[in-house]
Amino acid sequence: MHDTQELNCACVQELIDRQLPEGGWPFTTVTTQWAVEPTALALLALPSNSVRERDAAIRLLLHTQNANGSWPAFSGDDGGGSGLTGLALYALNRCGAQGIVGHRAVEWLLRTKGWESHWLWKWKFRTSDRHVRFDPDKFGWPWMPETVSWVAPTAYSLLALKHARGISQQDLAQLRIRRGVEMLYDRICPEGGWNAGNGVVHGFPLAPHADATALALLSLASEPPNNFITASVDWLERRAETCFAPWSLAWTILALDAFGRPTALLTDLLSSIVDPAEVTDCATLAVASLALGGAHGPSIFGVNS
Amino acid sequence: MRVDRRTFLAGSLGLTVGAATTALLEKRKYHVIRKQARSRVAILPAESYSQDLEQILRSGLDLFQLDVRGKTVLLKPNLVDHIPGNHINTHALLVSAAVECFRRLGAKSVVIGEGPGHQRDTELVLLESGFSEELRQLKVPFVDLNRDELAATPLLATYTGMNRIWLPRTVLEADFVVSMPKVKTHHWSGVTLSMKNMFGVVPGAKYGWPKNILHWKGIQESILDVCATVPVHFVIADAIVAMEGNGPFNGHPRPLNRIVLADDPVAADATCARLMGLDPTRITHIRIGAQFLGNASTEKIDQVAEAVCAPANPFDVVPEFQHLRLADSA
Repeated sequence: MHDTQELNCACVQELIDRQLPEGGWPFTTVTTQWAVEPTALALLALPSNSVRERDAAIRLLLHTQNANGSWPAFSGDDGGGSGLTGLALYALNRCGAQGIVGHRAVEWLLRTKGWESHWLWKWKFRTSDRHVRFDPDKFGWPWMPETVSWVAPTAYSLLALKHARGISQQDLAQLRIRRGVEMLYDRICPEGGWNAGNGVVHGFPLAPHADATALALLSLASEPPNNFITASVDWLERRAETCFAPWSLAWTILALDAFGRPTALLTDLLSSIVDPAEVTDCATLAVASLALGGAHGPSIFGVNS
Repeated sequence: MRVDRRTFLAGSLGLTVGAATTALLEKRKYHVIRKQARSRVAILPAESYSQDLEQILRSGLDLFQLDVRGKTVLLKPNLVDHIPGNHINTHALLVSAAVECFRRLGAKSVVIGEGPGHQRDTELVLLESGFSEELRQLKVPFVDLNRDELAATPLLATYTGMNRIWLPRTVLEADFVVSMPKVKTHHWSGVTLSMKNMFGVVPGAKYGWPKNILHWKGIQESILDVCATVPVHFVIADAIVAMEGNGPFNGHPRPLNRIVLADDPVAADATCARLMGLDPTRITHIRIGAQFLGNASTEKIDQVAEAVCAPANPFDVVPEFQHLRLADSA
C-alpha cells in the first residue's frame, strides 16, 4: 500500500478501531489503559468527518483534567500533572474545544516551571553541580512536578501557549514563551538538534534525536530564523536519510514540512515502512497519520495551519 | 592552593551535606530481605560475540540448576541508544542466546522488555542496534516498558522517600526477571551493572525521558528502592566488550572477554566491579544493597567458574569516581 492518501485512510481506520469505549487510546494494543499522548495525537490525526470519535476523545480529555488544571499522563495517574498537559491543551485547541478547561490548563502551564528556576537549585547548578552544560535562568517545563525542564514537555507547552486563545495573563504568557524558547536554544546539541535535553555532559557533546529535534522545531516554527534553527533543520534533514523507524520519521516529516523542506521522498519512505495493522503503538500510528495527511493538505503543526 | 572564603563555605556546606546524606543512606530503610546465605557467580570466558554464545551460556546456566519450567521469564537488557561504534547496549546476540537458553530450560514464555531512559523512540534503538532482526528471527516478543500498562506499586524500600512507584504490567507479571546489563562505567552512578540496569523498568510514560525524578530523589537511593521492589532473580552481564570512561554514552570500549552469571544482583555487581578494577564497597548501592538485597563480600560468594581477576589497569572513570579505582586506594 503505497498511495499515501489510501494509507492514511487505513491508519485513521485503524485508530478508530482501537479507540477505547471511554474515548481514549492506549499506547499499545495489549492494554486498555488510555494515555494522554496517544489520545491527543490520535485526536489531532482524526479527520473532521470522524465526528463521533473526535467527540468521544474530546469528552474524555475534558472530563479527565486534574483539579489543578493539568492532565494526568494516563488513566489512574496521580493528580499532580504531567508534561503532556501542553499536548492535551494543544489538541483540544485545534479541535475548537477549550473554554474553561483551557483557561485552567493555561494557568497551570504558567505556574509550572522546571525546578532549575528555583533560586536554591539555581545556586546548586551554578556552584556544585556543573556537569551538564546549561543555564538555569533559561527554563521551560518538566515531565512531572519537582523536576527540571526537558525538551519534549517544553515543546508541547510552547505549542499550547502559542496557539491558546483568550489568555488573561498575556504578559506572563509571553514571558514564559520567551523563557521556554531560550531554554530550547540553551539545551541544543553542539551539532544542531536536540535530544531529551542534555546537549553537553562532562564536556562531551551528546547526540541529538530525530523526534526531539522535530518536536522542538515545530514549537519554534513561528520564531524568527536563526542559526540554531537552521542548524537543527539541516541536521534533521541529514538524519532523515537513514531513519527507518516510523515514530521518528513521521515527526521528521512534520517538522521539515513546517520549515518548507521537501518531504515527498520521506513520505514515500514512511509509506513503505508503515503497515497500520502492524504498528502496535497508537501514538506512532497517530503521528504517522499526521505526517501522511500533511502530504495532502496543511499540517496540523504547520505555521499557518 | 589558595582557598577563598566563598569556596571554603561552599566546600564546608558540601561536606556537611555529603556526610548527612551518607548517614541517612546507611540507616535501614528496607522492608524486605532478598539476601541469601550464600550467592553463586560464574565468570565465563567469551572472546567475542561471534562465538557460540548459546553454548557458553547453556554450560554456564547448568552450574545454577535453575528451575524456570512453566515460568514467564523477562529478559531486561540495557538498551540506551544507538551510537555507531560505541558499545553502549547489551549485545543483541547475547540476548538472543539467553532467549534460546531459557526456552530450552522450559520457560512458559520468554519476553524481552526495556524502557530506554533518554531515547523516546525505542523502535529506532531496536532497529539500529540490530535487535529487531534478532527478535524477528527468534519470534520473541519485545515490550517497550516506557509505554506498557502501568500499576501503582508500594516500594519495598524507602531510601528515596517515595512510598510507591508506577511499574509496567509486564514486569509485575513476570515470574523470573533476568537483568542483562552491559558492564559500563556511568558518569552519575559510577557503574551501571545489573542493579542500575533496573532503572529501565521505570516507565517513561509516567516519569518522562529521562526519568528525572530518580535523579532528584538520588540515583543510589533510587537503585535500592527499585531493586527492593522488583526482584532480580538472575543476572547475565555482558562483559565481552565493556565500556570505561565517560559512560554510559561517551565511554570507550574495553574488552573483558567475559560473561558474568549470578543468582544475586549484588554479588553480580560486586564481582563485575572487581573485574573492572573498582572497589564495590565504595559504590553506595552495592554496599547498602549488601545489607538486604544480596552478598557483596567475597566470603559469601561462590565463584563457580573462573576466579575473579582484577585488571592491572582499572577502568577509567570520570573524575568524581576516581576513588572507586582499586589501584588508587593505596
